[in-house]
Amino acid sequence: MTDATAGKLSAQEEKERQKRLKYYSASQWTLIWWRFKRHRAAMVASIVLGLMALMGIFAEFVAPYGPTTRDTKYIDGAPQIPMFCDQNGCSIQPFIHGVSTKRDPVTLRAISIPDPEKRVYVTFFAKGEETRVLGFIPTNRHLFGLSDPQAKLHLWGTDSLGRDVFSRTMYATRTSLSIGVIGVLISFVMALLIGGIAGYAGGMTDNVIQRITEVVRVVPIIPLYMGLAAAMPKEWSTTQVYFAMTLILGFFGWPTLARRIRSQLLSIRNEDYVVAARLAGARPGRIIGQHMLPSFTSFIIVDLVISFPYMILAETALSFVGLGLRPPTVSWGVLLQQAQSVRVIEQTPWLFIPALFVVVAVLAFTVIGDGLRDAADPYSEAR
Amino acid sequence: MLNVENLSISFGTDEGLITPVQGVSFSVEAGKTLGLVGESGSGKSITTKALMRLLPGNARLSPETRITYRAKNGKEIQVEKIKPHSRALRSLRGGEIGMIFQEPMASFSPVYSVGNQMVEAIRLHRGCGKREARELAVEMLQKVGISNAAVRIDQYPHEMSGGMRQRAMIALALSAGPALLIADEPTTALDVTIQAQVLDLMRELQRDLGMAMIFITHDLGVIAQIADEVAVMYLGTIVERGATRDVIRDPKHPYTQGLLKAIPSLETLHDRLSPVPGDIPSPTERPSGCPFHTRCPDAINNICNIKTPVELTPAPGRAVRCWLHDEAQSGRSAA
Amino acid sequence: MLRFTIERLVGMAVTMLLVSMMVFIIMELPPGDYADRYAFRKYSGTGVSVTEADIQAIRVELGLDKPMVLRYFDWIGNIVLRGDFGQAFAFETSVVKVIGDKVWLTLAILFTTLIITYVVSIPIGIYAAVKRGSAADYGLTIFSYLGLALPNFLLALILLYFANRWFGADIGGLFSAEYKDAPWSLAKAWDLIKHLWLPAVVLAWSAVAYQIQTMRATMSDELNRLSVTAARARGVPEGKLLIKYPARLAINPIVSTIGFDVNRIFSELPIVAAVLGLTELGELLLKAYLDLDMYVAGAILLLLTFMIVFMNFLSDILLAWLDPRIKLGA
Repeated sequence: MTDATAGKLSAQEEKERQKRLKYYSASQWTLIWWRFKRHRAAMVASIVLGLMALMGIFAEFVAPYGPTTRDTKYIDGAPQIPMFCDQNGCSIQPFIHGVSTKRDPVTLRAISIPDPEKRVYVTFFAKGEETRVLGFIPTNRHLFGLSDPQAKLHLWGTDSLGRDVFSRTMYATRTSLSIGVIGVLISFVMALLIGGIAGYAGGMTDNVIQRITEVVRVVPIIPLYMGLAAAMPKEWSTTQVYFAMTLILGFFGWPTLARRIRSQLLSIRNEDYVVAARLAGARPGRIIGQHMLPSFTSFIIVDLVISFPYMILAETALSFVGLGLRPPTVSWGVLLQQAQSVRVIEQTPWLFIPALFVVVAVLAFTVIGDGLRDAADPYSEAR
Repeated sequence: MLNVENLSISFGTDEGLITPVQGVSFSVEAGKTLGLVGESGSGKSITTKALMRLLPGNARLSPETRITYRAKNGKEIQVEKIKPHSRALRSLRGGEIGMIFQEPMASFSPVYSVGNQMVEAIRLHRGCGKREARELAVEMLQKVGISNAAVRIDQYPHEMSGGMRQRAMIALALSAGPALLIADEPTTALDVTIQAQVLDLMRELQRDLGMAMIFITHDLGVIAQIADEVAVMYLGTIVERGATRDVIRDPKHPYTQGLLKAIPSLETLHDRLSPVPGDIPSPTERPSGCPFHTRCPDAINNICNIKTPVELTPAPGRAVRCWLHDEAQSGRSAA
Repeated sequence: MLRFTIERLVGMAVTMLLVSMMVFIIMELPPGDYADRYAFRKYSGTGVSVTEADIQAIRVELGLDKPMVLRYFDWIGNIVLRGDFGQAFAFETSVVKVIGDKVWLTLAILFTTLIITYVVSIPIGIYAAVKRGSAADYGLTIFSYLGLALPNFLLALILLYFANRWFGADIGGLFSAEYKDAPWSLAKAWDLIKHLWLPAVVLAWSAVAYQIQTMRATMSDELNRLSVTAARARGVPEGKLLIKYPARLAINPIVSTIGFDVNRIFSELPIVAAVLGLTELGELLLKAYLDLDMYVAGAILLLLTFMIVFMNFLSDILLAWLDPRIKLGA
């Protein structure tokens, strides 16, 4: 009997031992992933952000209409929320009420009035405009639409030109997120170069680079961006403006990260293992890349993630005041240009829906950054 | 003057309740020194923090805990019952019981001069004016052997050397006039030569001021020099207690024996050191039965790993928690 | 201390010199030169036909025919020696006149914002650190996340909307209509104060959120220090203890980032000014950029940066005074 209990105990101990062995032999990245998974808010934020990215990538498919398609019958129209029931009873398939246009007897402006007698059903994978998903897959199917191809569904309403806010927001998500990604990548490469040189070389080189970094850091960033954006020739195409914007944002986003890389490099420059590599005759590039950088890669990634919100907010702010991207390009900032006054809050509040995307994206990046920071900290105890 | 009974401390953490100190009892006589020995993680620092109610918010004392302290005015205080933020607690801290720490640099605030922090403590507990407090502070600094005390008093901690900072730390703790001094590894962070000086100083001060002392260390050698009584802690319990001389001459617990063997000495210079084998388990994975059985060379199978040993009295004035000294248990195993 | 101050002053001068070069480059960036735009501004719509020779004449008159390096020295020399920031073409007057008392309005907004930021964030940060893990702490964390995520122009619009509903229409801008062009008087100053809170709250919003996080983090670190336990073990009363020991040190990172906060405030200023209709430097800067009135834009950019650099200098001095360890290192 005692033997049986002893055997059982050791089996359990063995399992425990295996678990511990797995923990101790896991790589740095596996450990970070395990710890990150336990951070529930960060996991939720990752999923939200992932969905947002999918919306942006497949905007042509998700959006029922093109970003500039106008519905003159439904101008400044309120969001149409699909329903299952109305005064004529219920249906399994969601529907909206059809719209008919009338003239306002006083102002003579065309106004749209929902017709409660006319039901238009919402369908998935509905036929609609011809587009090319990802720019090369031709299709006329969209994620959702109406059974009657003549009628249009404006889930989040329309703007003053009758453009569908939902569709425009999808396309804007693509623009804004991609500007963030490219901007962050550019500033990352620059930070790596500048911080790497300063931190590895030290001495005079470091002093000069520090001075320049200081200058870029000290000038208020949005006014600086504005100055550069204002210099963009008016006749530039939207594509040129788009790339110029990513360059501007990326070009001045490096100082914080460069400082971080520099100070990390300086602090480990004289560590024994780095000195050993140098004595062994390794070239500087190899020493930085192979021996120094890996010791703080996780911190760099955290810094990259938390620099996204700044890019997104900067783009939004610049476009908002008319110094960033220009219509017909749609970005969150460009969309919000239409929502500059209190009057909009009162009359067409749905034009603020893109702002929710800005808030959610920035929040998501911040929360993920925090989660990553906790996960990357080797001293945070977690199994 | 201080009597601790059944002290158990638990912490509520994310991974459940952990109990780093379990059923610790000891007492300190007025004017005497109790040495508290153990590896890091054995719960010795937490034990002394409990005496001054310095534990963090998620710590809980068990209901059986009794900490009785006889104050300078002769009144008995139940320390575990004092209300937080009460006047009684504030006068106990510093005024009755003083504390010095392992790292003198970290125990001073870097942005105030040494004098500022001393005057604050003196005024809190002696209720005297600023000038008088300053004079007392200078006097105290002289007493701990700091030359040019009238100038040094206005220096910041970072302007002093390590040894001098530790002297200043002692002066700071003593300036409020405590009757009991808790010294938490006060010499560990110092050079060996300075260690000896500080130990001498503390012994001297204790004799002059007639205070009692609890001296925490992991070094039995230091204990031999300074303590009258010793209590050896392992994983939150006291495994052996007794007069220092007796314990060192004739250790009863295998752990104490191991610690003594691990001290390097001139006679055994050519032999390899014999450390206590294995690592101290983490408090979340406390072994069943006797906590030491995982590392004990003499563990009795099916007893030590199952039953928690009770405190036994192998000789007058001695106490040990080990089944090896329980005739009934060890006899049965031999049979 | 004196040596420290002089060192910082020299550093400040060097930084400003480099900044002025960068600003000048930005001023030169827009396509076409100043003379083109000047001529276009002056004569467009007047029916006068402008020839290349006329533009060349303007160029010579304004010294624009000289190489860029010389023009830079002309520009910076005039600023440093005569306080002359050049010509603003939008208003056909000097930049100094255009900017005028807007500098003071900007400073008023800046300091109101800074005061709100620190008065709100420091005590709340301390509270959150002391009550770490409590419901209030979580609430504050969520609030500060929102503070960082909500774009300031959106907040400005929301506040403007509610201010309009609750306090009546005349809440945007910096002055009521009757004081807008009135000379300075007590009544006008009071009117300004009544209008100042809205932009200040908007601008303080993200700074508060950020500094609560900073204060909470550094305060939590400080609370765990041995020196705090040591002070507690000496019987220092809890309230006094918190302020004298951890808070006194936790405030240092806040002091050292004053310049950073000023930077952030100025960064947001043009956008917030556009929404709220503020008549100060931020709004003027935005207008100048949109009109490509680069002398005005350059002057404002230089002034704003100078204020930031100066606040950096002040924070360095303040920090050295607060932390005795720094003097030793300097």
